[in-house]
Order: sequence, then C-alpha cells, then structure tokens
Amino acid sequence: MSAGYLAAVIALKSIRKAYQTGSQSLTVLKGIDCTIEKGELVAIMGSSGSGKSTLLNVLGLLDDFDAGTYVLNGQNMDGLSEKAAARYRSEFLGFVFQSFNLISYKSALENVALPLYYQGVPRKERQASAMAFLSKVGLADWAEHLPNQLSGGQKQRVAIARALIANPSVILADEPTGALDSVTSDEVMALLKEINKEGITIVVVTHENEIANQCDRIIRLKDGRIEGSNG
Amino acid sequence: MVDRDTWLEIFHTVLSNPLRTGLTGLSIALGIFILVVMQGLGAGLETGVKQTFGDDAANLMQVETGNAQLAFRGRKPNRRIQLHNADEQAMQAQMDSVPAWSRLVYRWGSTVRNGNQQGSYGVRGVDPDQREIGQVNLTAGRFVNERDVDQRRKVAVIGGQVLTDLFPKGMTPEQAVGTLIQVRGIQFAVVGTFNQTGSRWENRSVYVPFSTAQKLFSNSDVVSRVAIGTGAASIDETRETTASLTGWLKDRLVVHPDDAEGVWVDNRNEQAEMYRQIFGGIRLFVWFVGMMTLLAGAMGVANIMAIVVRERTKEIGVRKALGATSGSIVAQIVQEAVFLMLISGCIGLLAGTWLLQGIAPFVDHDFFSDPRVDFRSALLALGVLIIVGVISAIGPAVRAVSIRPVEALRDE
Ligand SMILES: Nc1ncnc2c1ncn2[C@@H]1O[C@H](COP(=O)(O)OP(=O)(O)OP(=O)(O)O)[C@@H](O)[C@H]1O
Ligand SMILES: [Mg+2]
Repeated sequence: MSAGYLAAVIALKSIRKAYQTGSQSLTVLKGIDCTIEKGELVAIMGSSGSGKSTLLNVLGLLDDFDAGTYVLNGQNMDGLSEKAAARYRSEFLGFVFQSFNLISYKSALENVALPLYYQGVPRKERQASAMAFLSKVGLADWAEHLPNQLSGGQKQRVAIARALIANPSVILADEPTGALDSVTSDEVMALLKEINKEGITIVVVTHENEIANQCDRIIRLKDGRIEGSNG
Repeated sequence: MVDRDTWLEIFHTVLSNPLRTGLTGLSIALGIFILVVMQGLGAGLETGVKQTFGDDAANLMQVETGNAQLAFRGRKPNRRIQLHNADEQAMQAQMDSVPAWSRLVYRWGSTVRNGNQQGSYGVRGVDPDQREIGQVNLTAGRFVNERDVDQRRKVAVIGGQVLTDLFPKGMTPEQAVGTLIQVRGIQFAVVGTFNQTGSRWENRSVYVPFSTAQKLFSNSDVVSRVAIGTGAASIDETRETTASLTGWLKDRLVVHPDDAEGVWVDNRNEQAEMYRQIFGGIRLFVWFVGMMTLLAGAMGVANIMAIVVRERTKEIGVRKALGATSGSIVAQIVQEAVFLMLISGCIGLLAGTWLLQGIAPFVDHDFFSDPRVDFRSALLALGVLIIVGVISAIGPAVRAVSIRPVEALRDE
C-alpha cells in the first residue's frame, strides 16, 4: 500500500467534503480513500447526487476539501492558494466537460491553444502545437471553424485536444459523452483510450456502463463513500 | 501580453453588444468633445481679449487725468485737471526706484505724408522706456532714444500699417529707415519701424520723442499720461504703490480724495490679475463639466464590464480551469475597459479638434479669435481617460476574480 501510495499519480486519504447551504450542512464526501496509478484509465460511477462531480472537482483542484490528504504527482495539495491551484492545474491537469465549454467566439484552433497562452508560450508555437493536437483528434480541416459550426462529437474532440495540449499527467473528464449519441460516444471513448495508451492517466465520470466497462477500473460512489473497486 | 488573442477578446467584448457599447462610447466621446470644444473656445476668448487689450505689458501703471467732479479746497466742481512737466518731475522724484518710466503726449488724427501719399494716424510723443512698457516689436532700425529726447530730434518710428499705406509696394522696413516723412507738416526722419501682431490701433501709430512732440504739437507743458513699468513687483506691491501714488497726486493737483475722475492711476497688473482669474475660472469650469461627462461615461464602461463579466461567468471559469491566473483575468478586463475609453475618447478628441479647426477661420471677433486645442490638454484628457478606464474596470475585475471555477462550470 505504501509503495503504491508513492507511485500513484493521485492518492486520496480520508477526503471529506460538506456543502453549506444556509444553516444546513450536507456532507457529500464522507472519507474517500483511493489511489490512481500512473497510466490508469478509471471510471467513477454512482447514482445522481452521489458526489461524482464533487470528487472530480476536488481532484481537479477546482474545489477545496474539508479534511483528509490529497497527493498529486507526489505533491501535497492541502490548503493551496488560488494561485498555486491555478499553476498545478495548468501544469498537471487537463479537463473535459460534458458541455464542452469551448469559448464560442474563438476558432477550434484558438480554443485548443488557450492553455498555452496562459503558460506564456509565444503565439506561433502555440498555434503550431494546437494544429498538431487538432490533427491528432482528426480535426485538422476544422481548425478555423467556430464551435457552433461543429457537431457535438467534434466539439468534444476539440475539448480533448485542448486538455492534451499542455501535456498533463491526468485528464479529468466529467461525463464527456453525456451530451453525445452512442456512436459519437464510442468515438470519443476510443480517442480517450488511445490517449491513455500513450501513458496519460484518465479519470472519467460516467453514468453509462458501456463507457465504464471500457475502463481499467471502476470506482463506485455510494452515499459519499467508495463502494468497492473492480479491476 | 497584448497579442492577437488579447485584441480578439477586446473586439469580441466591444462588438458583442454594439448598441450598448455605442451608447457608452458616445457618452465618453461626448465628454471629451465637450471638454475639447469648450477648452478651445475658452482659449479663443482668451486670445481675443488679450489681443484687444493690446500688446502692452501687463506689468504697468498709467497715470491719467480728467475732470474733477467734486469741489475741493475752494475749487469749483467739474474742472479740468492736467499734469504739467513740473508735476511729473515731482512725481518721479517722490517715487522709489521704478524699472521703466515714460511720459506720453498724444495727437490723434495727425496727417502723415510721404511724397504724394498721406493718411491720418496717431502720433505719440514718448520716452525711450516706452519701448519696454509697450513691448514695441521693432522690425527695422531703432526706437526713440535718450539723445532724441534731449535734443528734441525730429525722428519717427512708424507702425506697420503706416509703412504699408504710405510707402511704395514691396518696400521693406529696412528701406523705409532713413527716409523723410511729413508729420503734421513738419519733416521727420524715419529711424525705425515696428509691427504689433494682432493689434490694429498700434500699427497705425507713429512714435516720436516726447520733448519733440510736446514742443511742436501741443505747445504747452502738459503731459497726457505717464506710463510706469512695475517690473517684477507683486500684485500687492503694485496695489500699494497705486494707492500711495493716487493720494500724492490728488494732494498735489488739489483733487478731493473721493473724486474718481480728476486723476487716477490705472494699474494694469490689477486687470491682468482679473483676467487671469476669470480665465482660470473658465478653465476650471470647462474641466469640471468635461470631467462630469467623462464620469458618466466611465460609469457606463463600468456597467458594460460588469455585464460582460456576468455574461461570461462560465467562460471565466473555463479559463481558470485552463490555467488563467487572477492577474491575467484582471489584465484582460482592464485592457478592455481602457481600450473602450481610449477609442471613444480619441473619436471625441478628433471630432472636437476638427470642429474647432473648421470654425477657426470664420471667427475673428475683437473678443474671440483663433480657438485651438492645446496639445497639453489633449494629452491630459487622454491620461484622464486611461485612469478613469482603469478605475471603472476595478469593480468588474474584482467580481471576475472572485468567480470560482466550480460554480461557473456546474452544468445546469
Ligand atoms: N455548490 C453546492 N452547494 C450545495 N450543494 C451542492 C453543491 N454542489 C453539489 N451539491 C450537492 O452535493 C451532492 C453531490 O453533487 P454532485 O454534483 O457531486 O453529484 P453527481 O454525483 O455529480 O450527480 P450527477 O450524476 O447528477 O451529476 C448533490 O446532492 C448536490 O445537490
Ligand atoms: Mg455530476
């Protein structure tokens, strides 16, 4: 356990998180222990409201947690400042969202290049890099298109290219196929698997068994706890 | 970090709601426009008034006499008061040192002739200091000097208009010097010429030595006026001198202390101070009105930016998830606000300058001429725009920074 804990890309120990709504407190994560090894493709499943998104947001440093320890790439993420969180996000993490979250007035190419802009990469370089990743997801011919000129599957592939461009250790995807039909879902999943084969750790939140079954392992959340692992 | 992406985002903000942006831009442009035009009109008024009041230095006092209105020490009211040479000498003797001193004797409507050409001009008998006191701008030759006055020489310094009227076309001032003219039928040698910009009266004048003029043209020992340069004396010092000199003169010329019209000392320093205050007030008012309009515009920009931030909450969340720092978000919003301010401001500035330039040739009134935007105020206005732009962006920027990516990214 301790060796795995150190080799893990992600190691969570007794993570607890509660939401405060008015005077009421809703505990969503009631002590999560889990490790994700480098290069794993992991699915998180669970009924609606079970805390999947909450867990993924904690993993993605988009939200903080109340208690426990989170070690990402060997570094403790406890009590990070906004600024440090932004830096770790841009260094280690890539995000894929259910609703794509592309910037509507930017072309596919510019959307993909955006993370490099925040890393201070010169324009020429980031354009070239973005083009390479667009080709990788099969959208080289769509580089100049705006998001609303793309299909759902294409948008999600652009989002995946954007998640990849900063060369993250981990890609976190919250229901990446939730807005897609089954054929495009399979395409997107195939792409994620391909990326995973290159060594990038991927965590996918999903409702769909067909998606989860393509993963190395499924983490099931129930009532704020991990129900059991299945490899 | 202003590269193409930054511009793209700025244009997106500006163009995403053209009507709203247009209206706000208009109020800023209008603010600057009002500022520029009013400032230019104020400057025009100032130039006009300055020209009308001649080229005389502001640092001078003039002693003049008129009709005493009040009976005093047995003298009847409504009697003519005159300053004689003896009075003038006594006056000079009782004064502390003065930087410049010139007696004047006037002859309006004097016929001046050169060959067959003749016209009617003002002849002024003066002392050499008049050159400094009247800020006479010589174009050739010299001014009246001490020896001219001592020896009552018949020499003349002629104004630009006299030169143009009486001398052949194309004759230069240098060529006019040394020629002989007739002043009131007496032959004078032209020793100098002068030209006062913007002043019609001055250029229709001929200066001759005071002693010559008094002897030949007035036939008495009356001094029409004494002009005293006050040099670098402060306004308060000149006020004091004015008061004590008036008292002394009234005593000597037997004028009631309350008599306003027998003899008086006209302190130009006082007038200059008054104009300075009036124009200072106008300038302040112009800036105040302009600033208020700008402030309204700035609130518009702040409002736009606040709406932009609200509309783009999700986008800002995405950017943060992709590694945007608070600094980069603030920079973006500030750049957008400043850009909006500057573009609208420049439009106002150009429109205002253009209007002033358009009307300048058509307005040339005694009290109003050459309205212009001075470069310094234009720069100042732009500086103010940038500062106001930054300030107007602070509120929205703080809001944007406080957006938490989780909140923004939650799928509804
Ligand atoms: N910001 C918040 N404030 C209060 N309660 C919240 C907040 N975010 C989530 N919750 C609550 O926490 C619980 C877990 O939410 P979460 O979004 O993690 O569920 P989920 O497993 O992703 O569900 P779904 O499958 O519907 O996406 C829910 O009951 C939800 O109402
Ligand atoms: Mg969810």
